[in-house]
Amino acid sequence: MEQLIEQLKSQIIEALNFEDMTPADIDTDAPLFGEGLGLDSIDALELIMLMDREYGIKLADPKAGKAIFQSVRTMAEYIQANRTK
Amino acid sequence: MRVSHEIEITPSRVVLSGVPVAVSETGGKMLVELYRRYAGDYPKFFKMDTLCRLGFIGAELLLKQSGISSPVSAIIFANRSASIKNDNDYLATISEGNYYPSPALFVYTLPNIVTGEIAIRHHIQGETSFYILDNPEQLKPIVEASVNPDLTPSTCVLAGWCECSEADTFYAKLQIIWNN
Repeated sequence: MEQLIEQLKSQIIEALNFEDMTPADIDTDAPLFGEGLGLDSIDALELIMLMDREYGIKLADPKAGKAIFQSVRTMAEYIQANRTK
Repeated sequence: MRVSHEIEITPSRVVLSGVPVAVSETGGKMLVELYRRYAGDYPKFFKMDTLCRLGFIGAELLLKQSGISSPVSAIIFANRSASIKNDNDYLATISEGNYYPSPALFVYTLPNIVTGEIAIRHHIQGETSFYILDNPEQLKPIVEASVNPDLTPSTCVLAGWCECSEADTFYAKLQIIWNN
């Protein structure tokens, strides 16, 4: 799980163009939206694309996103349980 | 019509109201260098495409260092290639066999995002326009009309040419223009 979390942090930095950030700057349990990383709705779409592209996960239920994208850890847990690649 | 301040940006040179701005990088890296030195408090910069970064940095240096953002009542930009560089980047994300359309790239597939970003950054609440024209000369009558006292109460506009065809191929000439 820890390896997946670190990999996911790197993928988030690349997908969202956080050029000034390293994986160490992202708190695994901090909220991704609002406070914490302060992501917006476009970023949410990028994260959905990232999960599809890298892990073969297609989010069919938009309501599920709120729980999945709560933090990097919740994202990683969802990916580990649902990845197809 | 009077030009009080202007900035010219090429991939290797920046001149602010006649005074060269020291840069060590070139092309897109130069825009990042200028951001770090003269802005640095607007992380959204890194999400912008090159055209948007170009306009943003031009406006940043012109408005911030000249200290005159408050009278600006309109932003009028133009270029020849619209958002072609970013359009191509976006196209690459929807190519056959690799269909992962990027929302972050899609946002910048309209050139008028540039003027919107500048308006947000500098709290300019007037009109914004981005024209697609063959050459900068065609922008002149539009700008003249925008500060013509017989046509508009607008006294001061930010206007100019903001062109980017490749990541490291761009040109901007932006001016603060008054009605007197």
